[in-house]
Amino acid sequence: MAEHRAQIEVIGEILSTASDQTEEGAGVTSLVRNANVPHARISGVLGTLVARGLLERSAGGSHARYRISVSGRQFLREYRAFREVADSFGLSI
Amino acid sequence: MDPLAGALNGAGFAVGAAIGAISLAGFRNTGSPTLLRLAVAFSAIGAGFLPIWAGGLGAPGWVGTLGLAMQAVGYFFIAFSHSMKAFLPRSGRLTSVYALPLFLGSYVQMGHIVRSVSFILLAYGAIETVLSYIENRKPGTAMVAAGLVMLALGEFLSWYSLVYPDSPLLLASGAVKIGGLLAIFVPVSRVALAGRVRAGQKD
Repeated sequence: MAEHRAQIEVIGEILSTASDQTEEGAGVTSLVRNANVPHARISGVLGTLVARGLLERSAGGSHARYRISVSGRQFLREYRAFREVADSFGLSI
Repeated sequence: MDPLAGALNGAGFAVGAAIGAISLAGFRNTGSPTLLRLAVAFSAIGAGFLPIWAGGLGAPGWVGTLGLAMQAVGYFFIAFSHSMKAFLPRSGRLTSVYALPLFLGSYVQMGHIVRSVSFILLAYGAIETVLSYIENRKPGTAMVAAGLVMLALGEFLSWYSLVYPDSPLLLASGAVKIGGLLAIFVPVSRVALAGRVRAGQKD
């Protein structure tokens, strides 16, 4: 369960970083640095987020850029709100 | 049964179920296991008020004890969320020895055993939450800590009613427990009041 908890926090950080970027989206390097996620791990997480429609991938290859989708923004809002609930109990989401 | 006690049990069910429903919506929207544990915890606490209520209306003795046991399960999930599993014995044989006294004696005695276990679980959860408040200084954490302290006090008062069975301690215990649930409900309800709860809409 600890792994899953870490996973949702990673997703929250990636979406938060992507939402702070300009219209053209964030590159992988920027996401790795700002979301503090290991490079080896982020490609799998990004693939999942694109497949679920939370991120949009705008270019191919090593220059791929990721932009947060409308669903991603909605998820991020709810993630932040419920993280507050978990924080109130002194727990991590 | 005293109508006031009935109203308190009804209020306890409503507030516990509301916290459980908001936590469940959070789990469905985010997939967080923490929110799932809180949903199970508060659903069990809220649902536990119904058998306690029925027990007060003249149902068999085991019904009231069942309600107390359901609430103890809820308190366990709150404590479990604070990694209490680290303190539980790893040997299954040892655990069964601890469980053995629950099958001895009358339902009244079992009820008091369950209450004392609930008190310990709540005291643990309250202490952990107070420590979290000292770290983060968030008002919501202070509210939840106060709520857990009130729930623990309520369990202690109801357990103490064994000594003074004809005193209004049991009624006071119910009122204090409802106050505790309401204190916990305040920070949790902010999510619902902000219109953010949309159960099942993850994508």
